[in-house]
Amino acid sequence: MNLRRNIWLAAASTLIMTITLIILSVMTLLFIITSYSVQSIQERVDISTYFKSDVSEARILVIRDELQGDSRIASVNYVSSAEARQNFEENNRDDQLIIDSLNELTDNPFPSTLQIKANNLEDYPAIANMLEESSYRDLIQEINFEDNRIIIERLNSLLTFIITFGLILMVVFCLIAILVIFNTIALTIYNRREEVEIMRLVGATNWYIRGPFLVEALTYSVIAAIITSALILPIYFQMLPKISNYLTPGANIFSGDIKIFLGVIVVQLIIAFILSAISSLLAMRKYLRI
Amino acid sequence: MIEFKKVTKYYNNHKALNNINLHVKQGEFISLVGMSGAGKSTMLKLLVGEEQLDDGSILIDDIDMTKIRKSDLPYLRRKIGVVFQDIKLLPKRTAFENVAFAMEVSGHTKEQINKDVPRILELVGLTHKTHNFPHEMSGGEKQRVAIARSLAHRPVLLLADEPTGNLDEINAAEVIDLLLKINELGTTVLLATHASDLVNKIKKRVITIEGGQITMEQEKGKYKL
Repeated sequence: MNLRRNIWLAAASTLIMTITLIILSVMTLLFIITSYSVQSIQERVDISTYFKSDVSEARILVIRDELQGDSRIASVNYVSSAEARQNFEENNRDDQLIIDSLNELTDNPFPSTLQIKANNLEDYPAIANMLEESSYRDLIQEINFEDNRIIIERLNSLLTFIITFGLILMVVFCLIAILVIFNTIALTIYNRREEVEIMRLVGATNWYIRGPFLVEALTYSVIAAIITSALILPIYFQMLPKISNYLTPGANIFSGDIKIFLGVIVVQLIIAFILSAISSLLAMRKYLRI
Repeated sequence: MIEFKKVTKYYNNHKALNNINLHVKQGEFISLVGMSGAGKSTMLKLLVGEEQLDDGSILIDDIDMTKIRKSDLPYLRRKIGVVFQDIKLLPKRTAFENVAFAMEVSGHTKEQINKDVPRILELVGLTHKTHNFPHEMSGGEKQRVAIARSLAHRPVLLLADEPTGNLDEINAAEVIDLLLKINELGTTVLLATHASDLVNKIKKRVITIEGGQITMEQEKGKYKL
């Protein structure tokens, strides 16, 4: 009955709530995909230290132990030249030409390697530098450090931007949503003032009187949450993997996790509930005499 | 049952009630008479907690109206029936539904409502209008529905604020007769009115108010101003 009487205001309330939730969801999804990309790039970063072929395994293992004592370093993985060759053969076992040409060689062309992973991304240049200036630099053939920091920094600043911009946008739209729902509920209270007055005089408790107004506001948020979920469903499962592939080609592609999606919906509902509860309680406080 | 002690009430700077002392016994029928703005309605509003008094105290049974919590007011209001000049029925509900509404609000079951509402409508003589809407009834009938609604909680006290104000003589007399009947059944009735003819016929206690003060008290009194 009330919904029909204020159909336009009800629609406006639902619409503004939907827009707020869409902004929230898109920001959340962007945040998820960007941080996912950062993480998958970070996982790929390491420093590969290739040793000259005449360096003994024992010497390399001493260097490994020494490096492991460095607090900046998370792990050091030793790959012997034999292992490196084996890995290579396995990775290329379908390509007979490569295997054949490898077999032509008398020596093992693969150097023994230490793969170093740092605790923090920022430490890689310093660790690379330390290796360059170390006493065992002469034993090292090459230090291979692919500097992914620039792209990671870009992604990180994108993340910061998303968070800041998203928060500002969210605050603005939350305020608008509160205002619109506040007005809608105020009008509903006005339309039902006689009924409310009668309820009061026949001894309805405060929450019996308030209940319907709160339910009305919560209805808007549930409808808005359903619409938003339907809209972001394809974005989450179709677009995010594509964005992920675009941002970090070759890395693990983001594949939509249903749990995360459900989590986003639950957060949406909670925020929508909080907004409508705040606005309807404010409207009742101001306009509903109990 | 009701005790006004030195009750004073201001509206802004205007003294609506000035040092009112009044004792109402259980089962009494009291006519509160006086001109418009004399303070009759204010006294009734204080009794249901619609307004708060500024000085003095009001006791209803043992409940001190100056100390009652806001959250307890609904329960007090279920002990007190109220009837107004402008009737205040829900226009889109039938007589039955209007009376039932009062019972729904306080959480009565459907069975109780279906049992009680016809009895109450019978008491006010409106069984034949049970399923009629307010716009299908006369002013007097509407007021009787309102009285029926005020009785839904079996109140111990019935407050009637100018209930005959919008009614012709015959309907007004019917409403007053109904109030007397309810009083005979044991409910204390407080009738605020300025209809002198009616008060004269009632022949019960009359309290006259002028300018926010009680100027006269008569047992089996008449309206004198």
